[in-house]
Amino acid sequence: MAKILIPTALRQYAAQQASVEIGGATVADLLRSLTTQHADLRKHLYNDEGKLRSFVNVYVNDEDIRYLSKESTPVADADTVSIVPSIAGGR
Amino acid sequence: MIEIRKPAWDTVLDHLRAAYPKEGCGLLLGVEANGERVAHIAIPSANTYEGEQKDRFLLDPRTQLAAERQAREEGLDVLGIFHSHPDCDAYFSSTDIANTWSYYSNLVVSIRGREYAGAAVFRVDDERTQATREEFRIEGVR
Repeated sequence: MAKILIPTALRQYAAQQASVEIGGATVADLLRSLTTQHADLRKHLYNDEGKLRSFVNVYVNDEDIRYLSKESTPVADADTVSIVPSIAGGR
Repeated sequence: MIEIRKPAWDTVLDHLRAAYPKEGCGLLLGVEANGERVAHIAIPSANTYEGEQKDRFLLDPRTQLAAERQAREEGLDVLGIFHSHPDCDAYFSSTDIANTWSYYSNLVVSIRGREYAGAAVFRVDDERTQATREEFRIEGVR
């Protein structure tokens, strides 16, 4: 089982859990299981077409999955997956 | 209500004044109990917005990742975000509202001519369509 770290800002949509251990072969598998368990999280991570939102960054250990195999990035049991929601602003 | 401890506030101001005339940004770490928040640590971030940075910012996601990790290790939460409005009031724009999260206390600091010129804290609703002011105080500052 890999560990998914839930950032503070998203814990309110994941039963206040700081981390969740989930089995799966890829990032997509893990996030699918996570958002099945926590439906409120789904709308914040995925758009209406079921694609991961562009402002949601996902890391496997310290590597951004955009520079790996995106959501097809394989995940091993000892891996830690971090969800990092973008924060921006301006006038 | 959020209290910003003096060392964190000093870090915020140092970073935002150094970033002037561009927007500076970072994260606030601390604790929450009974609806009261106390920010103990401020972590500056690079502004990674690819464009004119005098009126836009994007937090470096790697700094966010490190801040989340530090918070876990120290028993803290990432309570909020800070950013500056160079030569502009400390209000919360529609762009600010649309690009944050409802959990966060959003500290906006006005910096005019590299000097502090006021601050305000805002929270947004879950749909990220409107902001309301959050009461705040800075330790040691009336």
